[in-house]
Amino acid sequence: MLLSLLSKRSLEVDSRDSYGFALRPQYAQRYREYSSIYKEEEGERSYKWRSFLGEAPNSAKPSSPEKKHKETSEVECNEVKEESSSNKVCKEDDLSSKNISEGTKEVGVGGVSEGGDLSGNKSSGVNEIKEGTSAGRVCEGGNSSGRKVVFDSSIENSSEKDLHYSEERKTRKVQRWAEIRPSLSAIEKLMSSRFKKGNDVKGEIRNGNNDHLPYIEKSKLGGGVSATDVNKSSAALVVEDSLQQFSLWKELEFLVQGGIPKDLRGEVWQAFVGVKTRRVKSYYEDLLAKETINAESNEQNDTSTASGKWRKQIEKDITRTFPGHPALDEHGRNSLRRLLLAYARHNPSVGYCQAMNFFAGLLLLLMPEENAFWTFVGIIDDYFGGCYTEEMIESQVDQLVFEELMRERFPKLVNHLEYLGVQVTWISGPWFLSIFVNMIPWESVLRVWDVLLFEGNRVMLFRTALALMELYGPALVTTKDAGDAITLLQSLAGSTFDSSQLVLTACMGFLAVTEEKLHELREKHRPSVLEVVEERARKGRLWKDSKGIASKLYSFKHDQEPLVEEKKVSKGDDMAANEEIPRLESHSSDLDELLHSLNVDSEVDSLPDLQEQVVWLKVELCRLLEEKRNAILRAEELETALMDMVKQDNRLQLSARIEELEQEVAELQQVLADKKEQEVAMMQVLVKLEHDQKDTEDARKRAEQELAAQKLEVHILQEKYEKAMISIAELQKRVIVAESMLEATLQYESGQNKALSSPRVGGRQSPHTDSNSRFGLLFGRGWLDKNKGKSNAEESGESLSSNAALGTESNDQEKQT
Amino acid sequence: MGCGSSTLGRDSRPLGRDNSENGGGQDAKNLRVKLVLLGDSGVGKSCIVLRFVRGQFDPTSKVTVGASFLSQTIALQDSTTVKFEIWDTAGQERYAALAPLYYRGAAVAVIVYDITSPESFSKAQYWVKELQKHGSPEIVLALVGNKADLHEKREVAVQDGIDYAEKNGMFFIETSAKTADNINELFEEIAKRLPRPSAS
Repeated sequence: MLLSLLSKRSLEVDSRDSYGFALRPQYAQRYREYSSIYKEEEGERSYKWRSFLGEAPNSAKPSSPEKKHKETSEVECNEVKEESSSNKVCKEDDLSSKNISEGTKEVGVGGVSEGGDLSGNKSSGVNEIKEGTSAGRVCEGGNSSGRKVVFDSSIENSSEKDLHYSEERKTRKVQRWAEIRPSLSAIEKLMSSRFKKGNDVKGEIRNGNNDHLPYIEKSKLGGGVSATDVNKSSAALVVEDSLQQFSLWKELEFLVQGGIPKDLRGEVWQAFVGVKTRRVKSYYEDLLAKETINAESNEQNDTSTASGKWRKQIEKDITRTFPGHPALDEHGRNSLRRLLLAYARHNPSVGYCQAMNFFAGLLLLLMPEENAFWTFVGIIDDYFGGCYTEEMIESQVDQLVFEELMRERFPKLVNHLEYLGVQVTWISGPWFLSIFVNMIPWESVLRVWDVLLFEGNRVMLFRTALALMELYGPALVTTKDAGDAITLLQSLAGSTFDSSQLVLTACMGFLAVTEEKLHELREKHRPSVLEVVEERARKGRLWKDSKGIASKLYSFKHDQEPLVEEKKVSKGDDMAANEEIPRLESHSSDLDELLHSLNVDSEVDSLPDLQEQVVWLKVELCRLLEEKRNAILRAEELETALMDMVKQDNRLQLSARIEELEQEVAELQQVLADKKEQEVAMMQVLVKLEHDQKDTEDARKRAEQELAAQKLEVHILQEKYEKAMISIAELQKRVIVAESMLEATLQYESGQNKALSSPRVGGRQSPHTDSNSRFGLLFGRGWLDKNKGKSNAEESGESLSSNAALGTESNDQEKQT
Repeated sequence: MGCGSSTLGRDSRPLGRDNSENGGGQDAKNLRVKLVLLGDSGVGKSCIVLRFVRGQFDPTSKVTVGASFLSQTIALQDSTTVKFEIWDTAGQERYAALAPLYYRGAAVAVIVYDITSPESFSKAQYWVKELQKHGSPEIVLALVGNKADLHEKREVAVQDGIDYAEKNGMFFIETSAKTADNINELFEEIAKRLPRPSAS
């Protein structure tokens, strides 16, 4: 709870924010702009949370009447606590943390140096502790802080067994471990369901731990009880008010996305991570105790062991963790060191990885040391399992997944960056590995962590990174070279002071990015990472100096195997050596039999010197572990081979498909050929038709010609007819002339007749000849007139014309007569 | 970290225009160079970069997680400019798994060790081998012995550095980020050794 040590004065220095973190000068102005907004948000937040926490237990009450009492008492406690000034608590923390460093050392030394004697050890340990902290108590004086009230109430609630430790706890761990405020128990319960599994695993570890360290057997009982307690209550909750729980969950989610109030943050985080469920009493102290022995007895060959290497690295990084932070003074750094070393012992497959120093430092600012340890364990082991191990496999997988998500969400941006020669993962990699610590402003970091710890997985990591890309993508697209793009993104990310905007964009804008989807994508990308890692490992074997066997072994494990490392500490204690073997069984069934025989052997042989036996066992164990490693390697090789075969299998399938397709193609070609044939036939028919058409055309032409010939004939006939008509006309003229001549002759004749007889009688004498000729003339004229009208109307008609011709001829003949 | 890196490279996925871009910029007068700093944890990689880019030295600098990026442009006497795009990587051994992401396509690798730490010198040799195997073939390698101001604590002889660098065709220099000794010289020398695009 180092943060509470900060005095207001130290924060007023411009170069640090309200959390005591250094501000980069270029952002100081913007920070000042936002600090009032932060303050406002903080006010709203703490109001909302207060009302939520006040109501939450009540709403859950109906589920179990017998809990009623407990819960109401919790509420009361809460009120008491809240009334008590936090300053007092801080002071208490401050004072006692000074004692603790000496105190622990003594605990550690006392605890282990006594050897196998169980009861003696216990009592001495307690004595030492009391001595170590008595000074602290004096300092505290009669100060009855709110915390103590909480403690007392929690003791009432806890089981009988806990009671006699509570005494001890009050003195020994008051600054190291603190229960979170009871009002948060509803949240804890809500969360506990998801840690059930983890809790079981823990139980195993715990048991193993107890076997190994008999002198703290008592903690097994306490731990066991609390674990089953929680399981029972959470199970009951799940059955009885899953609905209520759901609505509570939703409400809580909403609140968390709005941010957790500063004064609650540390405790709420613990509730999210399930610290209470995870915690095994005195486990942390034991880890530290071992560390102390190790440091003292193994000083010389320290660096050869894996933990020695970590120790060195941790030492290097302690002063480089939030350098200059007012809370990370001598004591703060000691806490940080202890926490990191304890974790390295707790989970050797991770050990220590740069970036963890920042997480531990952050947690230490918000909560007491042991609470921070368990929160840290939860985060690294569960939330980020596999991310910070030797090969960082999950971190690598996550980056591939993120790249795919980027491509899916922001194809344009990715294309642009690629065009500039920038890989998204260059930038997102550090974001993920540091969980945004030092990458974005602190307020935003904490808000992201709020959601991340609440959700219990790494989804928020992806969503936040995507949100940053969404916020700054448009600016990035305008950059013209790789350096500018990266610099711009870094500095824009560093200026993300609008934490609410960031969190809302992340949570609302990328709802499709879920744990299920990530899981799917991770499965897809993991094989390629493993392949590369394996290759590296193969090469790595050529280059080994400072690497201890152990650290190499652990690098092949994904699951946590926290206590294997401890065999190194267990020297001089054959009990422990024998008892650690059953523990290994759970890890590797392959080794089961070997180890059993080993166990039996060691008992039967009963080597004279225990030391020698232990050494032999160690060697044997190393050999076995080596074998196991080889087996694992072999298995991995086989796996890759299998993968290859599967791939080949795919190829077979593919080739089958290809054959199928080829057959289809052949069929289609056949069909095509048929069609072509048909086409040819059609063409022939067409040609024939064309021929026919031509023939008919010819025929038509011939007919036309004939027609033309006939027309010509007609024409000629017409001409003939016209000629005939002309001749007729001439003949008529001649007829007229002849007529007139005839008349003249008739007149003359009559004149002659007159002259012969009398001119009067002469005329009357020849009437019938006169009428005769007249008849002939009239007949000729009438026929002519008739004939003229006809030829006027229609000239054609051969027969007519010929008749006419005949007629004229007959006329002619008549005339001639 | 972009771990994906190693995988991606292997799959011959196009890495943008790495080669053309980082191999030495587009025009002969203004080079752009991707430079990567490698070396054991705590040898002063970040301090060297900060000294070079910002002219500052902070004895209490932060641990580098993953990698961090800074860029700086320098002008040479022949009036050319070189823009260094500097990737400062994390030193811890396990981050080596992610290093290929950053050194792939780099035109220059600066490998740093601490003259007071023989261990960091052997780590530097590891990096040289790694780069000879997996870096781009024409990469310019520089070996830097940092913390030269702590000569009373020296544990790696100057000659060792010189010999090793010579054997591996590298450029060698001892620097001190604290006193700024040889920091600019280091980058100027690198700039001079860069393969120039044919100036025609």
